[in-house]
Amino acid sequence: MSVLMNLFRKSPFTPLQTHMERVVKCVHRMQDLYDAHFKGDFDAVNQLAEEISELEHLADIAKNEIRNNLPRGLFLPVNRGDLLEILSLQDSIADKAEDVAILMTLKPLPQIDALKEEMKAFMLKNIQAVEKAHEIIREMDELLESAFGGTEAEKVIRMVEEVAFMEHEADIMQHKILKQLFSMEEELSYSSFYLWINILQTMASLANLAEKLANRVRMLLEVR
Amino acid sequence: MGVETIILTIALIGGFYMAWSIGANDVANAMGTSVGSGALTIRRAVIIAAFLEFAGAFFVGTHVSETIRKGIISPEVFASNTMLLVYGMIGALLAAAIWLQVASYFGWPVSTTHSIVGSVLGFGVVVGGWQAAEWGKVASIVASWVVSPLLSGTIAFLLFSTLRRLIYYNHDPIRAAKRVTPPLVFLVFYILTLAMLFKGLKNLKLHLDFAEASLYGLGVGAIAAAISHFLLKRIHPVEVKPRVKITQPAPVRKNLPRIIGMVEKTMHSAVGEVKTELARVLEDLRAIRLDVEEGVEVEQGSSEYKSVQRIFVYLQILSAGFVAFAHGANDVANAVGPLAAVISILKNGIVGAKSPVPVWILALGGLGIVIGLATWGWRVMITIGKKITELTPTRGFSAEFATAATIVLASKLGLPISTTHTLVGGVLGVGIARGISALNLRVITNIVISWIITIPAGAAGAILFFYILKGIFGG
Repeated sequence: MSVLMNLFRKSPFTPLQTHMERVVKCVHRMQDLYDAHFKGDFDAVNQLAEEISELEHLADIAKNEIRNNLPRGLFLPVNRGDLLEILSLQDSIADKAEDVAILMTLKPLPQIDALKEEMKAFMLKNIQAVEKAHEIIREMDELLESAFGGTEAEKVIRMVEEVAFMEHEADIMQHKILKQLFSMEEELSYSSFYLWINILQTMASLANLAEKLANRVRMLLEVR
Repeated sequence: MGVETIILTIALIGGFYMAWSIGANDVANAMGTSVGSGALTIRRAVIIAAFLEFAGAFFVGTHVSETIRKGIISPEVFASNTMLLVYGMIGALLAAAIWLQVASYFGWPVSTTHSIVGSVLGFGVVVGGWQAAEWGKVASIVASWVVSPLLSGTIAFLLFSTLRRLIYYNHDPIRAAKRVTPPLVFLVFYILTLAMLFKGLKNLKLHLDFAEASLYGLGVGAIAAAISHFLLKRIHPVEVKPRVKITQPAPVRKNLPRIIGMVEKTMHSAVGEVKTELARVLEDLRAIRLDVEEGVEVEQGSSEYKSVQRIFVYLQILSAGFVAFAHGANDVANAVGPLAAVISILKNGIVGAKSPVPVWILALGGLGIVIGLATWGWRVMITIGKKITELTPTRGFSAEFATAATIVLASKLGLPISTTHTLVGGVLGVGIARGISALNLRVITNIVISWIITIPAGAAGAILFFYILKGIFGG
């Protein structure tokens, strides 16, 4: 084994991207879950929740692999702590998607037709924010190539701003939905009301986490 | 006379073996990275390396050879019994060669240079006494072992940072890359020509001072830069789809579920540690199946950066050749230095202070390196090339250029340094400029440990062989 061969280690950035790929799969599955709910198919909801759990587990495998292959003697172009933080944020996104799924299996929830479209739009906005964050993680190769600087860094910063804006939009949508939900006191049972609030808040955390993730990546950049 | 012939033969075999092992093990480090990045095929890498190693050894090999021949221990101490020096030098050759063999068997990061310096020094001090060693020179050699990776790292850091600023901060990276190429080509050829001509062709009775050599260098550099300018026009940007969805072929999709089924069954009947291991494998397999079913999107990288790398492929070939040249210039001395000492004693009775190392010995050393490369080194080159794919052409060029420039400078100063360690310094320099995704810093510790172990090991071996030879041939 030559010294030179020993000098190079496997890049942790490729597994990081693989992990995010799996995380996004979890998040995407939420759409089907939601559609199943509004079709009133509680079995399908349970089925999909299980699938999401399985996907989350697969993401965890990728996560542990990265953590196991990151010894202290490794010299990375980014701070080791930052990298682990990014990984942990990605992981939380998958966790939250799983949480949403589990909340929806707790009991067959009543369908609130008045809010059907708004809630769907809200969920999609959150998914969109995660997707944008995924795009940023996909830019990692290019960032490595340009050593985290230059025009590529500027491009990523624009993307980070987009994620932040989506999170803001999601906040506004959530506010509107919550207001309506609180006005429905009479129609909803307490447990259903409580569950919906929880689901909405967990969903909202997806956009929040996506924004945090994007900002974490921004901190790796070197801009003139 | 008969005894002398035998001794000469042993010395020649020892020197040649040393040269062979330099060619077999060390050269691969210079060219392997270019093979890894796809810049060169193995065939071309070997041919280029062979030519430039020989050229480096032949034209610039004198300076360091002189140091090893008479710079580490002073021949005057052995003037009363010159045969002791002959045994010592042969002993040093054999000890260093065997130590290298042992070290490479165990995979220790040992340098040829350090072994030979340790061997010569160790024998000299034990046999000739404390005053036999030229401590001033030894100190500067040891200092150069620390300074050379640092210098190479600094140059690589500055070079890569500059390239990054010029190319990646530019809105048109391809044009920027094309613009920086001719000056870089100029720089490589200027330094190469300067290294060859300035005090280089003494052996060929061609004396050029710095100004003259520099003038030739400017000329050669300018011509090379002009040629590169026209060649660059023929490089067109590569078109790359940003993202490609990869679908696995039918057999993969068909077999994977079967494999998973089988592993599942096997896992259920397994017991103990194997069961948990299989469960883990199963999980991995399931993850793979998911990727296969849904297809994986692979990031291809922007076509702009791909084109930049395409341009730098040619620069990396250049810098790899430069490293080969520098390596030949510095490391040939490890084989030739002791050999030259032995031969001049057997011929003239003493290591002449005036007469330079004969050209034919340098040629022999160069040839030994080339043969080592052709018979074994290419294999090592393939191994290194396969393993090191992280060093893309822009990075490879920066690290290699820094390494070659450092080694050429050291060679001119007559300092024997380690090519590999200098290259490690260069790579780390690029890494500090955030150019490489993951480097293993433990290598640095290993290198330092190898310094500490190699010197006494080489010395002990040399002393052992010295007494064996003295016992056989008498002194």
